[in-house]
Amino acid sequence: MNTLFKELEEATLEQYIHGELPQWLADPVLEVARNPQQYAEKEYQVEMLLAQVLEYDVYAEAGCCKWAYDHEDIKRTLRWLNEAQKGSKGA
Amino acid sequence: MPIYLDCNATTPVEPAVAKLAARFLEQDYGNPASPIHDYGLFARAAVEHARAQIARVVEARPDEVIFTSGATEANNLAILGLAQSALAEGKRHVITTAIEHKAVLEPFEALERLGFEVEILPAGADGRFDPHQLAAALRPDTALVSTMQVNNETGSVQPLAEVANVLAQHPAWWHVDAAQGFGKELEQLRQKRIDLLSISGHKIYAPKGVGALIARKRAANLPPLQPLMFGGGQEQGLRPGTLPVPLIVGLGDAAKLALREHAQRQERCRAFRVQVLAALARLGAIQNGAEAHCLPHVINVSIPGIPSDQAIHALKEVIAISSTSACTSHTRTPSHVLAAMGVSFEQAESSLRLSWCHLTPAVDWERVIDILQQLRQA
Repeated sequence: MNTLFKELEEATLEQYIHGELPQWLADPVLEVARNPQQYAEKEYQVEMLLAQVLEYDVYAEAGCCKWAYDHEDIKRTLRWLNEAQKGSKGA
Repeated sequence: MPIYLDCNATTPVEPAVAKLAARFLEQDYGNPASPIHDYGLFARAAVEHARAQIARVVEARPDEVIFTSGATEANNLAILGLAQSALAEGKRHVITTAIEHKAVLEPFEALERLGFEVEILPAGADGRFDPHQLAAALRPDTALVSTMQVNNETGSVQPLAEVANVLAQHPAWWHVDAAQGFGKELEQLRQKRIDLLSISGHKIYAPKGVGALIARKRAANLPPLQPLMFGGGQEQGLRPGTLPVPLIVGLGDAAKLALREHAQRQERCRAFRVQVLAALARLGAIQNGAEAHCLPHVINVSIPGIPSDQAIHALKEVIAISSTSACTSHTRTPSHVLAAMGVSFEQAESSLRLSWCHLTPAVDWERVIDILQQLRQA
Protein backbone atom coordinates (compact mmCIF):
# COMPACT_ATOMS: atom_id res chain seq x y z
CA MET A 1 0.00 0.00 0.00
CA ASN A 2 2.73 2.47 0.97
CA THR A 3 4.55 1.59 -2.25
CA LEU A 4 1.49 2.65 -4.21
CA PHE A 5 1.38 6.09 -2.58
CA LYS A 6 5.14 6.50 -2.95
CA GLU A 7 4.83 5.62 -6.65
CA LEU A 8 2.04 8.15 -7.03
CA GLU A 9 4.14 10.89 -5.44
CA GLU A 10 7.16 10.09 -7.60
CA ALA A 11 5.12 9.90 -10.80
CA THR A 12 3.36 13.17 -10.04
CA LEU A 13 6.58 15.02 -9.32
CA GLU A 14 8.13 13.58 -12.48
CA GLN A 15 5.20 14.69 -14.62
CA TYR A 16 5.06 18.09 -12.93
CA ILE A 17 8.78 18.86 -13.07
CA HIS A 18 9.72 17.17 -16.35
CA GLY A 19 6.35 16.64 -18.03
CA GLU A 20 3.34 18.80 -18.64
CA LEU A 21 1.23 18.16 -15.56
CA PRO A 22 0.13 21.62 -14.38
CA GLN A 23 0.54 22.67 -10.78
CA TRP A 24 -3.19 23.09 -10.24
CA LEU A 25 -3.55 19.36 -11.00
CA ALA A 26 -0.32 18.17 -9.40
CA ASP A 27 -1.17 19.74 -6.04
CA PRO A 28 -4.36 17.77 -5.30
CA VAL A 29 -2.75 14.55 -6.55
CA LEU A 30 0.20 15.11 -4.23
CA GLU A 31 -2.28 15.71 -1.44
CA VAL A 32 -3.55 12.18 -2.00
CA ALA A 33 -0.06 10.72 -2.38
CA ARG A 34 1.14 12.26 0.86
CA ASN A 35 -1.82 11.10 2.93
CA PRO A 36 -1.77 7.32 2.66
CA GLN A 37 -3.66 6.85 5.90
CA GLN A 38 -6.52 9.09 4.79
CA TYR A 39 -6.89 7.21 1.50
CA ALA A 40 -5.90 3.75 2.70
CA GLU A 41 -9.32 2.28 1.87
CA LYS A 42 -9.33 3.77 -1.62
CA GLU A 43 -6.60 1.69 -3.19
CA TYR A 44 -8.59 1.14 -6.38
CA GLN A 45 -9.02 4.83 -7.17
CA VAL A 46 -5.43 5.58 -6.13
CA GLU A 47 -4.20 2.92 -8.57
CA MET A 48 -6.35 4.49 -11.25
CA LEU A 49 -4.93 7.91 -10.41
CA LEU A 50 -1.39 6.55 -10.67
CA ALA A 51 -2.10 5.07 -14.12
CA GLN A 52 -3.57 8.37 -15.25
CA VAL A 53 -0.62 10.41 -14.00
CA LEU A 54 1.90 8.02 -15.56
CA GLU A 55 0.15 8.29 -18.91
CA TYR A 56 -0.84 11.93 -18.69
CA ASP A 57 -0.89 13.85 -21.92
CA VAL A 58 -2.34 17.27 -22.57
CA TYR A 59 -3.48 16.15 -26.04
CA ALA A 60 -4.89 12.75 -25.05
CA GLU A 61 -8.22 13.50 -26.71
CA ALA A 62 -6.78 15.27 -29.74
CA GLY A 63 -6.45 12.34 -32.17
CA CYS A 64 -8.93 9.97 -33.73
CA CYS A 65 -8.98 7.89 -30.57
CA LYS A 66 -8.08 8.42 -26.96
CA TRP A 67 -4.62 7.05 -26.29
CA ALA A 68 -3.64 8.61 -22.95
CA TYR A 69 -5.21 10.41 -19.98
CA ASP A 70 -5.84 14.13 -19.77
CA HIS A 71 -6.72 16.59 -17.02
CA GLU A 72 -10.42 15.70 -17.18
CA ASP A 73 -9.63 12.10 -16.33
CA ILE A 74 -7.49 13.06 -13.36
CA LYS A 75 -10.02 15.61 -12.14
CA ARG A 76 -12.74 13.00 -12.31
CA THR A 77 -10.73 10.43 -10.35
CA LEU A 78 -9.91 13.02 -7.71
CA ARG A 79 -13.60 13.86 -7.44
CA TRP A 80 -14.39 10.15 -7.12
CA LEU A 81 -11.77 9.72 -4.41
CA ASN A 82 -13.08 12.63 -2.46
CA GLU A 83 -16.74 11.69 -2.87
CA ALA A 84 -15.94 8.29 -1.49
CA GLN A 85 -13.92 10.02 1.20
CA LYS A 86 -16.95 12.04 2.27
CA GLY A 87 -18.92 8.81 2.47
CA SER A 88 -21.63 9.87 0.06
CA LYS A 89 -20.92 6.95 -2.27
CA GLY A 90 -19.00 4.76 0.13
CA ALA A 91 -15.81 2.81 -0.43
CA MET B 1 -15.68 -30.06 1.54
CA PRO B 2 -13.09 -31.74 -0.67
CA ILE B 3 -10.09 -29.76 -1.85
CA TYR B 4 -10.86 -28.19 -5.22
CA LEU B 5 -8.46 -29.45 -7.91
CA ASP B 6 -10.41 -28.43 -10.99
CA CYS B 7 -9.00 -24.96 -11.60
CA ASN B 8 -8.85 -25.50 -15.37
CA ALA B 9 -12.62 -25.76 -15.33
CA THR B 10 -12.92 -22.56 -13.33
CA THR B 11 -10.88 -20.83 -10.69
CA PRO B 12 -12.09 -19.46 -7.37
CA VAL B 13 -12.54 -15.71 -7.42
CA GLU B 14 -9.65 -13.88 -5.81
CA PRO B 15 -11.08 -12.30 -2.61
CA ALA B 16 -9.85 -8.79 -3.50
CA VAL B 17 -11.47 -9.13 -6.93
CA ALA B 18 -14.79 -10.23 -5.43
CA LYS B 19 -14.73 -7.29 -3.04
CA LEU B 20 -14.09 -4.84 -5.86
CA ALA B 21 -16.79 -6.35 -8.08
CA ALA B 22 -19.28 -6.15 -5.21
CA ARG B 23 -18.54 -2.47 -4.82
CA PHE B 24 -19.58 -1.90 -8.44
CA LEU B 25 -22.75 -3.90 -7.87
CA GLU B 26 -23.76 -2.05 -4.75
CA GLN B 27 -22.39 1.48 -4.93
CA ASP B 28 -20.85 2.54 -8.22
CA TYR B 29 -23.51 0.97 -10.40
CA GLY B 30 -23.63 3.53 -13.19
CA ASN B 31 -23.86 2.72 -16.88
CA PRO B 32 -20.68 3.68 -18.75
CA ALA B 33 -22.83 4.53 -21.76
CA SER B 34 -24.46 7.30 -19.69
CA PRO B 35 -21.53 9.60 -18.96
CA ILE B 36 -23.84 12.50 -18.19
CA HIS B 37 -23.44 12.27 -14.43
CA ASP B 38 -20.84 10.97 -12.03
CA TYR B 39 -22.35 7.50 -11.82
CA GLY B 40 -21.88 7.04 -15.55
CA LEU B 41 -18.54 8.84 -15.61
CA PHE B 42 -17.10 6.72 -12.84
CA ALA B 43 -18.35 3.54 -14.49
CA ARG B 44 -16.77 4.59 -17.77
CA ALA B 45 -13.48 5.37 -16.02
CA ALA B 46 -13.54 1.97 -14.34
CA VAL B 47 -14.13 0.19 -17.64
CA GLU B 48 -11.30 2.08 -19.33
CA HIS B 49 -9.01 1.35 -16.39
CA ALA B 50 -9.82 -2.35 -16.71
CA ARG B 51 -9.15 -2.21 -20.43
CA ALA B 52 -5.68 -0.81 -19.75
CA GLN B 53 -5.00 -3.39 -17.02
CA ILE B 54 -5.83 -6.23 -19.42
CA ALA B 55 -3.90 -4.72 -22.33
CA ARG B 56 -0.81 -4.41 -20.16
CA VAL B 57 -0.61 -8.20 -19.64
CA VAL B 58 -0.08 -8.81 -23.36
CA GLU B 59 1.51 -5.46 -24.22
CA ALA B 60 -1.43 -4.43 -26.36
CA ARG B 61 -3.18 -1.06 -26.56
CA PRO B 62 -6.24 -0.48 -24.37
CA ASP B 63 -8.38 0.28 -27.43
CA GLU B 64 -7.56 -3.18 -28.77
CA VAL B 65 -9.49 -4.84 -25.92
CA ILE B 66 -13.10 -5.71 -26.77
CA PHE B 67 -15.12 -6.98 -23.83
CA THR B 68 -17.25 -10.09 -24.33
CA SER B 69 -19.13 -12.54 -22.12
CA GLY B 70 -16.14 -14.89 -22.08
CA ALA B 71 -13.64 -16.73 -24.25
CA THR B 72 -16.33 -18.67 -26.12
CA GLU B 73 -17.90 -15.49 -27.40
CA ALA B 74 -14.47 -14.02 -28.13
CA ASN B 75 -13.56 -17.11 -30.16
CA ASN B 76 -16.82 -16.87 -32.11
CA LEU B 77 -16.32 -13.17 -32.75
CA ALA B 78 -12.77 -13.72 -33.98
CA ILE B 79 -13.51 -16.71 -36.20
CA LEU B 80 -16.96 -15.91 -37.56
CA GLY B 81 -16.38 -12.17 -37.46
CA LEU B 82 -13.67 -12.45 -40.12
CA ALA B 83 -15.72 -14.59 -42.50
CA GLN B 84 -17.27 -11.74 -44.45
CA SER B 85 -13.99 -10.00 -45.25
CA ALA B 86 -12.35 -13.32 -46.16
CA LEU B 87 -15.15 -14.14 -48.59
CA ALA B 88 -14.92 -10.65 -50.05
CA GLU B 89 -11.21 -11.23 -50.71
CA GLY B 90 -11.89 -14.64 -52.23
CA LYS B 91 -10.07 -16.45 -49.42
CA ARG B 92 -11.83 -19.62 -48.33
CA HIS B 93 -9.11 -21.65 -46.64
CA VAL B 94 -8.86 -21.71 -42.84
CA ILE B 95 -6.64 -23.73 -40.49
CA THR B 96 -6.97 -24.85 -36.91
CA THR B 97 -5.79 -27.77 -34.77
CA ALA B 98 -7.41 -30.98 -33.58
CA ILE B 99 -6.84 -30.15 -29.92
CA GLU B 100 -8.76 -26.88 -29.84
CA HIS B 101 -11.64 -26.31 -27.46
CA LYS B 102 -15.12 -26.84 -28.89
CA ALA B 103 -15.53 -23.08 -28.75
CA VAL B 104 -13.08 -22.95 -31.66
CA LEU B 105 -13.86 -26.21 -33.44
CA GLU B 106 -17.59 -25.53 -33.67
CA PRO B 107 -17.22 -22.02 -35.15
CA PHE B 108 -14.91 -23.67 -37.70
CA GLU B 109 -17.68 -26.14 -38.48
CA ALA B 110 -19.92 -23.11 -39.02
CA LEU B 111 -17.32 -21.70 -41.44
CA GLU B 112 -17.38 -24.99 -43.31
CA ARG B 113 -21.15 -24.64 -43.72
CA LEU B 114 -20.51 -21.18 -45.16
CA GLY B 115 -18.32 -22.69 -47.84
CA PHE B 116 -14.86 -22.47 -46.27
CA GLU B 117 -12.35 -25.27 -46.61
CA VAL B 118 -11.28 -26.20 -43.10
CA GLU B 119 -7.93 -27.84 -42.51
CA ILE B 120 -7.29 -29.37 -39.09
CA LEU B 121 -3.73 -29.97 -37.96
CA PRO B 122 -3.02 -33.12 -35.93
CA ALA B 123 -1.26 -33.21 -32.56
CA GLY B 124 1.60 -35.33 -31.29
CA ALA B 125 1.86 -37.49 -28.20
CA ASP B 126 3.44 -34.51 -26.45
CA GLY B 127 0.09 -32.71 -26.66
CA ARG B 128 1.26 -30.13 -29.20
CA PHE B 129 0.63 -29.46 -32.84
CA ASP B 130 3.58 -29.23 -35.21
CA PRO B 131 4.37 -25.79 -36.71
CA HIS B 132 6.01 -27.51 -39.70
CA GLN B 133 2.63 -28.99 -40.57
CA LEU B 134 1.16 -25.52 -40.35
CA ALA B 135 3.82 -24.24 -42.74
CA ALA B 136 2.98 -27.06 -45.16
CA ALA B 137 -0.76 -26.35 -44.91
CA LEU B 138 -0.58 -22.61 -45.61
CA ARG B 139 -1.87 -21.46 -49.00
CA PRO B 140 -2.15 -18.07 -50.67
CA ASP B 141 -5.89 -18.16 -49.98
CA THR B 142 -5.53 -19.03 -46.28
CA ALA B 143 -7.59 -16.40 -44.50
CA LEU B 144 -7.32 -17.48 -40.88
CA VAL B 145 -5.16 -19.61 -38.61
CA SER B 146 -6.48 -20.38 -35.12
CA THR B 147 -4.22 -22.09 -32.59
CA MET B 148 -4.65 -22.32 -28.85
CA GLN B 149 -1.99 -21.17 -26.40
CA VAL B 150 -2.40 -23.82 -23.70
CA ASN B 151 -4.52 -26.91 -24.00
CA ASN B 152 -7.32 -27.03 -21.46
CA GLU B 153 -7.16 -30.78 -20.92
CA THR B 154 -3.42 -31.44 -20.77
CA GLY B 155 -1.93 -28.05 -19.88
CA SER B 156 0.43 -28.37 -22.85
CA VAL B 157 1.88 -25.04 -23.95
CA GLN B 158 1.71 -24.78 -27.72
CA PRO B 159 4.62 -23.64 -29.94
CA LEU B 160 3.41 -20.08 -30.61
CA ALA B 161 6.86 -18.58 -31.16
CA GLU B 162 7.40 -21.06 -33.99
CA VAL B 163 3.97 -20.26 -35.43
CA ALA B 164 4.90 -16.58 -35.42
CA ASN B 165 7.93 -17.42 -37.53
CA VAL B 166 5.85 -19.52 -39.91
CA LEU B 167 3.33 -16.71 -40.32
CA ALA B 168 5.85 -13.89 -40.45
CA GLN B 169 5.53 -13.43 -44.20
CA HIS B 170 1.96 -14.65 -44.61
CA PRO B 171 -1.01 -12.27 -44.43
CA ALA B 172 -3.45 -14.73 -42.80
CA TRP B 173 -5.10 -13.51 -39.63
CA TRP B 174 -3.84 -15.39 -36.58
CA HIS B 175 -6.19 -16.03 -33.71
CA VAL B 176 -5.04 -17.54 -30.41
CA ASP B 177 -7.47 -18.97 -27.87
CA ALA B 178 -5.65 -17.98 -24.70
CA ALA B 179 -8.38 -18.92 -22.23
CA GLN B 180 -6.08 -21.24 -20.29
CA GLY B 181 -2.83 -19.33 -20.52
CA PHE B 182 -3.63 -15.62 -20.27
CA GLY B 183 -2.08 -14.29 -17.08
CA LYS B 184 -0.29 -17.59 -16.47
CA GLU B 185 2.24 -17.82 -19.30
CA LEU B 186 3.07 -14.21 -20.02
CA GLU B 187 5.73 -14.03 -22.71
CA GLN B 188 4.01 -15.93 -25.53
CA LEU B 189 1.04 -13.60 -25.81
CA ARG B 190 3.22 -10.51 -26.18
CA GLN B 191 4.16 -11.76 -29.64
CA LYS B 192 3.02 -8.94 -31.93
CA ARG B 193 2.26 -11.27 -34.86
CA ILE B 194 -0.80 -12.56 -32.98
CA ASP B 195 -3.75 -10.63 -34.37
CA LEU B 196 -6.54 -11.85 -32.13
CA LEU B 197 -6.51 -13.22 -28.59
CA SER B 198 -9.43 -14.69 -26.66
CA ILE B 199 -9.34 -14.51 -22.88
CA SER B 200 -11.64 -15.54 -20.07
CA GLY B 201 -12.23 -13.99 -16.65
CA HIS B 202 -13.10 -17.10 -14.71
CA LYS B 203 -9.83 -18.83 -15.53
CA ILE B 204 -7.82 -16.08 -13.83
CA TYR B 205 -9.73 -15.59 -10.55
CA ALA B 206 -12.27 -13.10 -11.91
CA PRO B 207 -16.03 -13.76 -12.03
CA LYS B 208 -17.73 -15.86 -14.68
CA GLY B 209 -19.52 -14.11 -17.52
CA VAL B 210 -16.75 -11.85 -18.75
CA GLY B 211 -13.86 -12.15 -21.14
CA ALA B 212 -12.37 -10.24 -24.00
CA LEU B 213 -11.17 -10.42 -27.54
CA ILE B 214 -7.91 -8.55 -27.91
CA ALA B 215 -7.66 -7.45 -31.53
CA ARG B 216 -4.23 -6.05 -32.36
CA LYS B 217 -4.08 -3.37 -34.99
CA ARG B 218 -2.15 -3.82 -38.20
CA ALA B 219 -1.05 -0.53 -39.71
CA ALA B 220 -3.33 1.30 -37.26
CA ASN B 221 -6.39 -0.72 -38.30
CA LEU B 222 -8.24 -3.38 -36.34
CA PRO B 223 -8.70 -6.74 -38.09
CA PRO B 224 -11.80 -6.49 -40.34
CA LEU B 225 -14.20 -8.05 -37.85
CA GLN B 226 -17.94 -7.89 -38.33
CA PRO B 227 -20.20 -7.98 -35.28
CA LEU B 228 -22.22 -11.11 -34.59
CA MET B 229 -24.89 -9.22 -32.66
CA PHE B 230 -26.62 -5.93 -33.26
CA GLY B 231 -28.34 -3.39 -31.11
CA GLY B 232 -25.88 -0.83 -29.82
CA GLY B 233 -22.58 0.77 -30.57
CA GLN B 234 -20.63 -0.50 -27.58
CA GLU B 235 -17.13 -1.90 -27.96
CA GLN B 236 -16.46 -0.08 -31.22
CA GLY B 237 -19.67 -1.50 -32.67
CA LEU B 238 -18.34 -5.04 -32.43
CA ARG B 239 -20.12 -6.22 -29.32
CA PRO B 240 -23.32 -4.38 -28.51
CA GLY B 241 -24.95 -4.54 -25.10
CA THR B 242 -24.64 -2.73 -21.79
CA LEU B 243 -21.23 -3.39 -20.34
CA PRO B 244 -21.26 -5.50 -17.14
CA VAL B 245 -19.11 -3.10 -15.15
CA PRO B 246 -18.69 -5.24 -11.99
CA LEU B 247 -17.46 -8.17 -14.09
CA ILE B 248 -15.20 -6.01 -16.24
CA VAL B 249 -13.69 -4.33 -13.20
CA GLY B 250 -13.14 -7.79 -11.73
CA LEU B 251 -11.41 -8.98 -14.89
CA GLY B 252 -9.21 -5.90 -14.92
CA ASP B 253 -8.20 -6.34 -11.30
CA ALA B 254 -7.54 -10.04 -11.84
CA ALA B 255 -5.32 -9.16 -14.80
CA LYS B 256 -3.42 -6.70 -12.65
CA LEU B 257 -2.87 -9.34 -9.97
CA ALA B 258 -1.83 -11.91 -12.58
CA LEU B 259 0.99 -9.61 -13.62
CA ARG B 260 1.96 -8.42 -10.17
CA GLU B 261 1.90 -11.81 -8.47
CA HIS B 262 2.97 -13.98 -11.37
CA ALA B 263 6.25 -15.18 -9.86
CA GLN B 264 4.76 -16.02 -6.46
CA ARG B 265 1.83 -17.86 -8.00
CA GLN B 266 4.12 -19.89 -10.24
CA GLU B 267 6.29 -20.79 -7.29
CA ARG B 268 3.32 -22.00 -5.25
CA CYS B 269 2.00 -24.03 -8.15
CA ARG B 270 5.39 -25.61 -8.77
CA ALA B 271 5.74 -26.57 -5.10
CA PHE B 272 2.28 -28.16 -5.19
CA ARG B 273 3.19 -29.98 -8.39
CA VAL B 274 6.10 -31.71 -6.68
CA GLN B 275 3.64 -33.30 -4.26
CA VAL B 276 1.22 -34.23 -7.04
CA LEU B 277 3.92 -35.89 -9.12
CA ALA B 278 5.23 -37.81 -6.13
CA ALA B 279 1.77 -39.13 -5.26
CA LEU B 280 0.93 -40.04 -8.85
CA ALA B 281 4.26 -41.82 -9.32
CA ARG B 282 3.36 -44.20 -6.49
CA LEU B 283 0.22 -45.12 -8.43
CA GLY B 284 2.10 -45.81 -11.64
CA ALA B 285 0.32 -42.95 -13.40
CA ILE B 286 1.14 -42.18 -17.03
CA GLN B 287 1.19 -38.51 -17.97
CA ASN B 288 -0.78 -37.52 -21.05
CA GLY B 289 1.29 -34.84 -22.75
CA ALA B 290 4.93 -33.97 -22.21
CA GLU B 291 5.90 -32.75 -18.75
CA ALA B 292 8.48 -30.42 -20.33
CA HIS B 293 5.73 -28.38 -22.04
CA CYS B 294 3.19 -28.44 -19.23
CA LEU B 295 2.16 -25.41 -17.20
CA PRO B 296 2.91 -25.91 -13.50
CA HIS B 297 -0.70 -25.88 -12.26
CA VAL B 298 -2.17 -28.77 -14.23
CA ILE B 299 -1.52 -32.38 -15.08
CA ASN B 300 -3.40 -34.98 -17.08
CA VAL B 301 -2.69 -38.59 -16.18
CA SER B 302 -4.02 -42.06 -16.78
CA ILE B 303 -3.92 -44.43 -13.85
CA PRO B 304 -3.83 -47.98 -15.22
CA GLY B 305 -6.58 -50.22 -13.98
CA ILE B 306 -8.77 -47.45 -12.59
CA PRO B 307 -11.55 -46.02 -14.77
CA SER B 308 -11.71 -42.28 -14.36
CA ASP B 309 -15.38 -42.10 -13.39
CA GLN B 310 -14.76 -44.57 -10.56
CA ALA B 311 -11.71 -42.66 -9.37
CA ILE B 312 -13.57 -39.34 -9.35
CA HIS B 313 -16.44 -40.89 -7.39
CA ALA B 314 -14.17 -42.63 -4.88
CA LEU B 315 -12.18 -39.46 -4.25
CA LYS B 316 -15.10 -37.07 -4.03
CA GLU B 317 -14.81 -36.59 -0.26
CA VAL B 318 -11.11 -35.73 -0.51
CA ILE B 319 -10.44 -33.94 -3.78
CA ALA B 320 -12.67 -32.54 -6.54
CA ILE B 321 -11.14 -33.46 -9.89
CA SER B 322 -12.34 -34.05 -13.41
CA SER B 323 -11.93 -36.59 -16.13
CA THR B 324 -10.82 -35.39 -19.49
CA SER B 325 -12.13 -38.46 -21.20
CA ALA B 326 -15.46 -36.68 -21.59
CA CYS B 327 -17.06 -40.08 -21.46
CA THR B 328 -20.75 -40.20 -21.02
CA SER B 329 -22.41 -43.34 -19.86
CA HIS B 330 -24.33 -43.70 -23.08
CA THR B 331 -21.77 -42.75 -25.74
CA ARG B 332 -18.41 -43.66 -24.15
CA THR B 333 -16.80 -41.16 -26.48
CA PRO B 334 -13.26 -40.34 -25.38
CA SER B 335 -11.76 -36.87 -25.24
CA HIS B 336 -11.10 -35.52 -28.72
CA VAL B 337 -7.85 -34.05 -27.41
CA LEU B 338 -6.47 -37.31 -26.10
CA ALA B 339 -7.68 -39.09 -29.22
CA ALA B 340 -5.84 -36.53 -31.38
CA MET B 341 -2.69 -37.21 -29.36
CA GLY B 342 -2.94 -40.90 -30.16
CA VAL B 343 -3.85 -41.94 -26.61
CA SER B 344 -5.54 -45.36 -26.63
CA PHE B 345 -9.20 -45.69 -25.71
CA GLU B 346 -8.29 -47.64 -22.54
CA GLN B 347 -5.78 -45.03 -21.45
CA ALA B 348 -8.22 -42.21 -22.19
CA GLU B 349 -10.90 -43.93 -20.13
CA SER B 350 -8.65 -43.85 -17.08
CA SER B 351 -7.52 -40.27 -17.54
CA LEU B 352 -7.81 -37.66 -14.84
CA ARG B 353 -7.11 -33.95 -14.89
CA LEU B 354 -5.87 -32.32 -11.72
CA SER B 355 -5.54 -28.54 -11.77
CA TRP B 356 -4.77 -26.26 -8.87
CA CYS B 357 -3.80 -22.67 -8.13
CA HIS B 358 -2.02 -20.42 -5.66
CA LEU B 359 -5.10 -20.51 -3.42
CA THR B 360 -5.25 -24.32 -3.20
CA PRO B 361 -4.76 -25.65 0.34
CA ALA B 362 -2.74 -28.78 1.20
CA VAL B 363 -4.10 -32.16 0.13
CA ASP B 364 -3.89 -35.38 2.13
CA TRP B 365 -2.08 -37.31 -0.60
CA GLU B 366 -1.66 -40.42 1.53
CA ARG B 367 -5.43 -40.69 1.71
CA VAL B 368 -5.73 -40.16 -2.04
CA ILE B 369 -3.21 -42.94 -2.68
CA ASP B 370 -4.93 -45.31 -0.23
CA ILE B 371 -8.33 -44.79 -1.85
CA LEU B 372 -7.02 -45.35 -5.36
CA GLN B 373 -4.97 -48.41 -4.39
CA GLN B 374 -8.03 -49.96 -2.71
CA LEU B 375 -10.07 -49.18 -5.81
CA ARG B 376 -7.53 -50.91 -8.00
CA GLN B 377 -7.55 -54.04 -5.80
CA ALA B 378 -11.35 -54.18 -5.65
